Amino acid sequence: MAVLVESRPAMKASIAPGKMTEADAARFLLRAQFSASDADIAFVRAHGYAAWLDQQFASPRGQTGVDWLTAHKHDAIDKDAHYFWPQAGDYMIWNQILAQPGEMRLRAAYALSQFFVISLNPIDGYWPPYIMAAWWDLLADGAFGNFRDLLERVTLNAGMGMYLNTKGNLKEDKATGRQPDENYAREVMQLFTIGLRMLNPDGTEKLDASGRPIDTYGQDDITNLSRVFTGYDHDMRRTRNITVPWQNFPVITHEFCVDPMRLDPGKHSNLAVSFCGTTIPADTPGKDALKTALDTLFHHPNVGPFFGKQMIQRLVTSNPSPAYVRRVAAAFDDNGSGVRGDLKAVWRAVLTDPEALAAVDPADTLSGKLREPVLRLASWARTVGLHSETGDFVMHDLSRSDNALGQSPLRSPSVFNFYRPGFVPAHTAIAGAHRLAPEFQLQNETSVAGYINFLQWVIRWGYTDVKPTYDPLRDFAHDPERVVTWLNLHLAADQLSPQTCGLIATALASKQVTPDSPDGHKLDMLASACLLVLSAPEYLVQK
Amino acid sequence: MSGPYLHKDISRRTLLARAGQLGFLGAGAPLAMNLASAAEAAAVGADDYRALVCVFLYGGNDHGNTLVPYDPVNHSRYLGIRGGVAFQRKDLDKTALTPIRAQTLTDDLHYAFAPYCPRLKVLFDGGKLAPLLNVGSLITPLTLAQYKSSNRALYPTPPKLFSHNDQQCTWQAMGSEGSTVGWGGRLGDLALAGNDHALLTCISASGNAVFVSGNKALQYQISPSGAIAVKPFKEPEYGSPAISEALHQLITQPRQHAMENELTILARRSIEMEGIVNGALDKVTLQTNFDTVPGPNSLADQFKIVARLIGARKELGAKRQVFFVSLDGFDQHSNLVAKHSELMGKVDEALAAFYVATVEMGVQRQVTAFTASDFGRTLANNGDGSDHGWGSHHYVVGGAVHGGHYYGTAPHVSVDTDDQVGQGRLLPSTSIDQYAATLARWFGVPDSEIATVLPNIGNFDRTPLGFV
Repeated sequence: MAVLVESRPAMKASIAPGKMTEADAARFLLRAQFSASDADIAFVRAHGYAAWLDQQFASPRGQTGVDWLTAHKHDAIDKDAHYFWPQAGDYMIWNQILAQPGEMRLRAAYALSQFFVISLNPIDGYWPPYIMAAWWDLLADGAFGNFRDLLERVTLNAGMGMYLNTKGNLKEDKATGRQPDENYAREVMQLFTIGLRMLNPDGTEKLDASGRPIDTYGQDDITNLSRVFTGYDHDMRRTRNITVPWQNFPVITHEFCVDPMRLDPGKHSNLAVSFCGTTIPADTPGKDALKTALDTLFHHPNVGPFFGKQMIQRLVTSNPSPAYVRRVAAAFDDNGSGVRGDLKAVWRAVLTDPEALAAVDPADTLSGKLREPVLRLASWARTVGLHSETGDFVMHDLSRSDNALGQSPLRSPSVFNFYRPGFVPAHTAIAGAHRLAPEFQLQNETSVAGYINFLQWVIRWGYTDVKPTYDPLRDFAHDPERVVTWLNLHLAADQLSPQTCGLIATALASKQVTPDSPDGHKLDMLASACLLVLSAPEYLVQK
Repeated sequence: MSGPYLHKDISRRTLLARAGQLGFLGAGAPLAMNLASAAEAAAVGADDYRALVCVFLYGGNDHGNTLVPYDPVNHSRYLGIRGGVAFQRKDLDKTALTPIRAQTLTDDLHYAFAPYCPRLKVLFDGGKLAPLLNVGSLITPLTLAQYKSSNRALYPTPPKLFSHNDQQCTWQAMGSEGSTVGWGGRLGDLALAGNDHALLTCISASGNAVFVSGNKALQYQISPSGAIAVKPFKEPEYGSPAISEALHQLITQPRQHAMENELTILARRSIEMEGIVNGALDKVTLQTNFDTVPGPNSLADQFKIVARLIGARKELGAKRQVFFVSLDGFDQHSNLVAKHSELMGKVDEALAAFYVATVEMGVQRQVTAFTASDFGRTLANNGDGSDHGWGSHHYVVGGAVHGGHYYGTAPHVSVDTDDQVGQGRLLPSTSIDQYAATLARWFGVPDSEIATVLPNIGNFDRTPLGFV
């Protein structure tokens, strides 16, 4: 098969180990995960990209989100009714993004969380943090597994059930005019698998004989498919009722957040289902209907290019060539051993494609992508070192753009993610060149200033109990040039120009820090250095 | 919730309880008084200024439970179709609407606003709010038979119907996702030259919105707290003047890489406009209370900054402005009754406060607010919510509005008549283009230019709809 042959070169490093520079390794690592430690840089240089990826694929997860919550007593049943509070959901995910080991898996899960979206914003009722932790754990645990398994877990996840209404979805009822809820049926097609338009394997739209795009499905397909997702509700079998004196109804324990939703056959529609060319006969048991429906979506030829292109956009570039998308889609279709949907093959293809690894072309003024605010904060935190004094990681929803970061993980405003993969910023040279720049959807007059203001505080003083250590830099904090060189490699893969480094170093030198300066002065200087690097357009656009 | 908030809430609750003793108009009473004084205020400040404010309800507002069939016959049809998410008729008694002059609608329909929209009723009663019935995205007028026809060349339908992101974009820009020019922006293109600051022609108080992006007009984005200054320029804290200066250079110097360069353009714009905008806002005094109901209301916060910007219009030399505000969360597939109450209650509070603010500033005849949303929803219910639809009802509010009267064609309360395409998804009888063209004419766009703002308007009856 031609596709197989083509997917092979993508699995090899285009720069032989040994000839790779530190900057090459850092560039790769800053895409594959949040940061580029010296150890990782050395490993990649010594053994190559593929070996590093294999090592990541084989490495275990750090502490799960659910375990972290429990270890920090967020399962406590107390009079303040913390079981209704969402805040620990933010602490949990910030801890995962900023501090847990197994960075590549977490980076991949973060990319997946922007494709399969649920948001803490509307999650209410008992234990919102556990709902979100179980969701996050599903993505992190499945990040190196198979897309088909992930799709089923996503479909039956308790939080997804709340977010897109599969929980409590009832079969039709002629007497009351009730119809099945269509929300999940629609979005699982539009956003989680096949998209709205038939695609070529390279991600471009297929056209009919008259040159018009071809819809993947219509309203009838959705109305039909919605029957498959009826009859589900949270599985309460392991969940216990606890009687408490301060409310007149029991508190329930949080197991239902983790367990997949459960089918009640009596509430499941037994009507026949016909969608996207597949027919599920009337009276098919719910479990079988679900399998057929998800298999149909999984085997649709759109999934590879639809999913693959978005993963390239999340990790490498806003504007991959059709050939790059085709190679990633081919890896999705067949991992080389005949397996469809192997996510390890997708990450390999995305991260080691020749187009990704080709040297930055200074003449290409549209290369790369804008780093989104969460990735900026994560790269800084993991690079300079972070310490939670209490271990509680009290970091809140940072979505506001006027006085916070302007983005917060697992806090998308809707199922359409923080920004759209097809976003074009109007009135820009990017639009003029007919290119995309999804992350620019978050960039505006308010967020430009709000981000810098947020940084100014956080990079010096931290956020509540979470403080930067600057351990890797303290020994040479009196040496502006060395500081800038070090930050340039570790945060920007040497993509800050000599002019920019010079500008920053000169400004830092005015602080006149010496080896004998007090710690506070050194930290002042290091924070100033980070403020300048993290604000620099050459850092913000990751190439 | 922290102490001060709680304190504020309690005091507001007390006030509200007192107002409640005055009977139903408790919540609406100050508004009614403002309506009474509107006429005299309008005579005062008649400068050449006009503003349109698009109020976008993200997620697809459930029109069926916003403007509800109230007469016994139609209400009972509604009850039969909506099941568990329906209002009982008695719940609607206080918000039932009687047009200012007699008007006969389809099937002798009478409507009521949802019980949680008492202020919208007051605005309707006072002639300041006009509902436009069953408006939605169309390329040409369409019958049900034409919709069902497979001849899309002859009977085109808007692309990607029922899809949130695409229909949001269609409402804002007459094109699906990826469009870069909205019709509010095109209005701005025509108005730019009359304003001292071209950048303050099209303004979003709600993040990125293609509606306010024109061919020439840029969208200026402002936060509810005003323009945001880059703090390290003013307070270097642990930095130093040299650090601040380097920061300024880094973020503003033009760059060769296009994405990097766009960041610097945006930074320069942000920095330059912050001084101008906040300087002008500082001089505005606005007494109107935008917080008349306990609890946060992000839409009211956005309306307030829009009102303050309008208050600064002379200082800023603005003659024509297009604003965008929005509220999220209308995709109520479940828990419709509770969630819709919460969200439409916010719309009710915010729109009414905004109208009062325009009266306070004497510009109520020069400012028109109108609602828009992804789509309407099914009339059929799915147990405790509704699904994506097409046509919807929308509302136009302002002193220039010929309110207290319905516009457009009322749809049957039905899931099987020829004005719907299944489960009560309305086949629009009025197009967004007609809605927009009517607003555009009021804004001052000459007939000859309407088609440049709304390219498909030629496919429809071009007679203005008359609501403003």
